[in-house]
Amino acid sequence: MLRALILAAVLWTIAAPGLRAATFDELAAQAAAARRANHIPEAIELYRQGVQLRASWMEGWWFLGTLSYATYQYSGCESAFDAFVKLDDKRALAWSLLGLCEFETGKYDPALDHLRQGLALGKDLPPEVEAGVRFHYGLLLSRAGFFDQGKRELERYARGGAHEPMLIEGLGLNALHQPLLPKEAPAERVDAVMQAGTAARFWILGENDKAEAGFQELLRDYPAVAGGHYLYGTYLSYARPEDAMAEFRRELELNPANADAGAMLALLLVYANDLPGALPYARKAAAERPAYALTEYVYGKVLLAMGDLRPAIARLETAERLDPAALEYHMALAGAYSWAGRHEDARRERRLSMDMATGAKRPELNAQSARGGAPPPETIDKTIKQ
Amino acid sequence: MTDGCPGTRQPWLVTAVWVALAGVAQAAPPRPAKVTCATCHRAEAQSQPGTAMGIGMELPANQEALQAHPKLTVEENGYHYNLERKNGAGTYTVSDASGALSLPIKYALGVHNLTFVLEYQGSFYESMVTYYQKIEGLGITMGDERIRPHNLTEAMGRKVSDQEIMACFNCHGTGGVSQGKLTLDSLRPGLTCDHCHTGADAHMQALAGGKPAPVPRKLGEMAAEEMSNFCGQCHRTWESVVGLRLFGEKNVRFQPYRLANSQCFLGDDKRIRCTACHNPHVDLVREDASYDRACLACHSATQKTCPVADKNCVSCHMPKVLAAETPALFTDHQIRVVHAGDPYPQ
Repeated sequence: MLRALILAAVLWTIAAPGLRAATFDELAAQAAAARRANHIPEAIELYRQGVQLRASWMEGWWFLGTLSYATYQYSGCESAFDAFVKLDDKRALAWSLLGLCEFETGKYDPALDHLRQGLALGKDLPPEVEAGVRFHYGLLLSRAGFFDQGKRELERYARGGAHEPMLIEGLGLNALHQPLLPKEAPAERVDAVMQAGTAARFWILGENDKAEAGFQELLRDYPAVAGGHYLYGTYLSYARPEDAMAEFRRELELNPANADAGAMLALLLVYANDLPGALPYARKAAAERPAYALTEYVYGKVLLAMGDLRPAIARLETAERLDPAALEYHMALAGAYSWAGRHEDARRERRLSMDMATGAKRPELNAQSARGGAPPPETIDKTIKQ
Repeated sequence: MTDGCPGTRQPWLVTAVWVALAGVAQAAPPRPAKVTCATCHRAEAQSQPGTAMGIGMELPANQEALQAHPKLTVEENGYHYNLERKNGAGTYTVSDASGALSLPIKYALGVHNLTFVLEYQGSFYESMVTYYQKIEGLGITMGDERIRPHNLTEAMGRKVSDQEIMACFNCHGTGGVSQGKLTLDSLRPGLTCDHCHTGADAHMQALAGGKPAPVPRKLGEMAAEEMSNFCGQCHRTWESVVGLRLFGEKNVRFQPYRLANSQCFLGDDKRIRCTACHNPHVDLVREDASYDRACLACHSATQKTCPVADKNCVSCHMPKVLAAETPALFTDHQIRVVHAGDPYPQ
């Protein structure tokens, strides 16, 4: 980093005499020449002058942004791409780089929105850029408390073979449902977070023996870590639901406000046909964590199993809107529509579910899923009261 | 327990009957020594144990296929499989040049086709080969076609999770699972009344004690979607098949999934539910014409009749399909207009 800054300063000194140009066209030509000659600081300054002369110069904003990003000048990069997307809002890479710069400058809420926008447009994003964008998007979703959505993005990145410490820490925070970025994790929690992330990565890679050993080690070393029993319960729920339920109950004893644990416990009780047992957990989780996809989905599933179709559909529709990329929500909604006699809606959801399951289609990120899918509060109220 | 059962349709009537019976009992004891489901639901209770669901599986004492074929062999994936029955017990052996692994056959799941559940080193395995009635011999177990074993243990079978093995015993037997744990000491083959009619045992015991009996839920109230999910607990729901991405011909055996993909499947309609065609208390009816009544319940009413035939609808619209690469033939429940050469709709 230091070496790069020194190099930039030297380049700036060398390039400085050439910065005066008589006309905009001459300035643009000089900027392009400096960029092609790899005189980066000179090129940045020339592009900066160019966009001051002509604010509609898209090429100028573009190169000012990309050159700033390449030289770790995130603030300048952010300003440049912010101006660029006002001129052309259809470029996935521009939105993505804007979001990545905002991530670096600590503007996390707009970064989340803009990375989402980049991914929504990003059918032509280069694979390595998309991987990086999804990784940062996943971290920000987790930080915003949208753990399931964040998990999917981080999983994709981990499946690509990545295993750097920041990923492990990000996976750990996500797995323990702690809404923090890796650099925000308190020092005393880092070891537990890394243990959780390491085990979670093994799980993602299908190395279940190592994953299970890791989860057990985590709980042996940190038996009361927030989210630890929830994490192990989630792992167990696929193969040993009774043991999973015991873990969720243990999590609720330690952290009664853990709505995710309550929701997962309710879901397993539904699968075990214990509807009277499931209902209070599902209702409580939905009340404690409103406008949250998992709790809405589980409460909807419980209501559906009880045959209470109208409120069940409202809950499931809310869950689907909050997290349109979750296959389970579409499938549950298909069944609910079918049961309620809404045949065309049922067929649409079944088709979409099949397309998602076969990989033929990924649901597009829409405006409501911009921040992990949180719609405006008034929308939620309207849905639930139907 | 059928649609015609008065006891559940009109609770006042059953109460009146029991009040009357109680009066008779006071006047003229004794009451029947033992009340069973057959006491009131005689026809269903007599026929259901002989159905495929009523049989469910075979324990060593009555493994009929192995009795009829005391030695079965097959070569698959470079391994030799040998199933032998001697002295009332079956043995499953897999071998290759490196050696052999022999295990007792305790559980043969299924009726016409039998897959074996094997225990080895504290874990349960689904046998890699299955007995198929159609060929009267062994073949790779459905769903395991893609497995390429690397050693005798893998060749013997597929290790199954606790959850999966409980599902196996819960759908093929009674008493094998209790409170989320395997209880194989009390396992009995096949499904009894209480499996589907939850609360039937309590209902019966209360009646036997002369007490007011809570009536189990009447399953005849269910429309198609709910019933598909109900039967799908064993036959696989649409959600479970899609969620597990079980696509291709192998999913032809998951009837609720296939049915839900039919254009004519209407989730709130009773005319397309499982029991519109199948009476679970009697064995499967195999004559195509016997299902015409169910088809015509909708298609005659809407005047949408077939241009080709006026009977045996299922012979065209529900073709028989081999489940993936196995000799097991299933009726495809995705009801549709089938054109020659059409790919299997997954």
